[in-house]
Amino acid sequence: MFRQLILPTIFLVLGYGFWISPDFKEIAAGVAVFLFGMLSLEEGFKAFTGGLLEKLLKRTTNKLWKSLSFGVISTTLMQSSSLVSVITISFLSAGLISLTAGVGIIFGANLGTTTGAWLVAGLGLKVKISAYAMPMLVFGILLIFQKSKELKGIGYVLAGLGFLFLGIHYMKEGFEAFKDTLDLTAYAVRGYPGVFLFTLIGLFATVIMQSSHATLVLIITALSAQQITYENALALAIGANIGTTITAIIGSLSANIEGRRLAVAHLIFNTVTGFVAILFIYQLTMAVDSISYFVGIEADNYTLKLAVFHTIFNSIGVILMLPVIPSMVRFLERRLKAKETSRRSAPKYLSQSASDLPEAMLAAVRQETQHLYDNAASIIAGGLSLPLNAIHSNKSLEDVIFNARTVIPTNIDQQYEESVKSLYADIVDFSSSYQGELSADQVEELFRLRAAGRDIVEAIKDTKHLQKNLSRYFIADNPYIHHEYNTLRMRLASVLRELHKVRQKSENDSATILSLDRLRLDMEEYDQNLNHNLSSLIRQKLISGPMSVSLMNDSGYASDVTRKLVQMGEVLFSESDLRTKSIEQSLSLSDEELTEMMHSQHNNGKDRSIL
Amino acid sequence: MKISKLIKKAETYARSDELKRKEKKKYLKKVIKKLRKHEDKLRQEYDSCTDFEKSRQLKQEIALAYNQRKKGVKILKSLKKKKRDRD
Repeated sequence: MFRQLILPTIFLVLGYGFWISPDFKEIAAGVAVFLFGMLSLEEGFKAFTGGLLEKLLKRTTNKLWKSLSFGVISTTLMQSSSLVSVITISFLSAGLISLTAGVGIIFGANLGTTTGAWLVAGLGLKVKISAYAMPMLVFGILLIFQKSKELKGIGYVLAGLGFLFLGIHYMKEGFEAFKDTLDLTAYAVRGYPGVFLFTLIGLFATVIMQSSHATLVLIITALSAQQITYENALALAIGANIGTTITAIIGSLSANIEGRRLAVAHLIFNTVTGFVAILFIYQLTMAVDSISYFVGIEADNYTLKLAVFHTIFNSIGVILMLPVIPSMVRFLERRLKAKETSRRSAPKYLSQSASDLPEAMLAAVRQETQHLYDNAASIIAGGLSLPLNAIHSNKSLEDVIFNARTVIPTNIDQQYEESVKSLYADIVDFSSSYQGELSADQVEELFRLRAAGRDIVEAIKDTKHLQKNLSRYFIADNPYIHHEYNTLRMRLASVLRELHKVRQKSENDSATILSLDRLRLDMEEYDQNLNHNLSSLIRQKLISGPMSVSLMNDSGYASDVTRKLVQMGEVLFSESDLRTKSIEQSLSLSDEELTEMMHSQHNNGKDRSIL
Repeated sequence: MKISKLIKKAETYARSDELKRKEKKKYLKKVIKKLRKHEDKLRQEYDSCTDFEKSRQLKQEIALAYNQRKKGVKILKSLKKKKRDRD
């Protein structure tokens, strides 16, 4: 009910304001144009994120100071801490970055956002920026009409900047004209009541506009037109800093638990910083005066002094909070826990916020398919009557097989229904419903990831076929068939182990990924040896005809499981960029090429010539 | 559509095709180089290996990397040939 009333109330208040004051109309239009500029800027930067952002994030977020610098620089360039925080949340949701890195970026973004105040106070008010706005708008719009994605992006950025400048111009003009009719400083409140009141106003204004940048520009222009006192302007800036967390909070509503944790970290940082600033506002004002004097800012240049204040109090926040980031992350992980779900098939990474950017969407699909593989691996291991943790351990596989001499009852159909089917459906659904634009490389990657999911599901189905005879013969009294089926178990266990090893490696280059083909080669060799062995076993009547047929069929199933899992591993565990990944795929040997290679090795000792 | 416009479109298409080929060649060369390095490393390991099973495995891996690299070189040659044919 209350929510439904907010928008009409705002409309009414604004409408009344426009009716009684044309100057207020100009200021509000300035804010609207400014916000439109920010939207356009966001749109423009999104055009340049194709692959670059992912690479940058990987390289720049492995250390806290790097994430912090990334936050500062990206916010300075984009002039929007909100955009940076929303992108960070979506990358965190997709599992591309850690929570610590995310917190570092957000803290950095808080520092980066202070450059906006400097730009407006130092440049925006001194020069007639509307003069720059006009050509930017014209060139920007012309570029937006171009077909090339890059040119379009540049167009949006240019038009965005043009609108930002135009918005500032309107706000400045509005306040200047306002000065002649109404003196807002008459409403100034002194002392701590004033600090609290104006902090609240700043907070409220930022929540409405969802941009601290817009609030700050409004404060600076009002201050330059002497419509608010310097003291109240400081309080407004503190409020704006707290209010800006609303964008991250809204963004995190559609994110997973990691995204929510980050939004809370953002709120904690800005609230603590704001609280410290309110508490020591007079000391801070003195510090601003002395720093301003030191750097040569005139005593009555309140707009630049506000920029100094903004920078100082955000820097204090970073200095105060930086040492407590690890404990803050621990606290958030303890307090905000993921909903305990009994369903192993519940998706972990597929959240609405992960579909904000193509990179985040691809990362989410990749992580979720790995989750699908985790569930599948335990089913496959169960189908082989082997515990998965033993396969993944350092014990020799001979020992693992020797110790697992009893059948582990595994209902593959039931487990497939419980932990794979709906998760696979969710992945397909999520990737199919993605609305954003994808580059050709990204479309290719999405196809590969979908194929990997299908390979996982098919590997489970093949294991199911294999399980029936395997659980009968590996405990059979006939030592020959017993041995053959245990060899089959060992082969498949070694595939699972090798995949696990490759996945655990911190850096997988193309050679490591392509070396997974060896598992297929091993299986192919085993299959050929089996054919020789079988003939001799049947001839000597050591195994029966039905046994040999079962073994031949099951060896075929095992080959299929191996091929599918290796194909899946080459896609899911490769950390190369999309283009290299595509090359890796084209260099992986086909079944025919593997057979040919094996023959040439056996027949004319070609392997010797290679070596 | 006018002939000149059609030619212009065809040229743009061909240029983007050429660009894609160049990119592919660049990435292919990188992977081939990595495979060669990997192969060399395996050969060194093979030379100093005394364990029978391990050396059998290494031999197999060397052959695999060699064949993958050979496949890469083949693709690279066909890309170069395509360019020559176009020129």
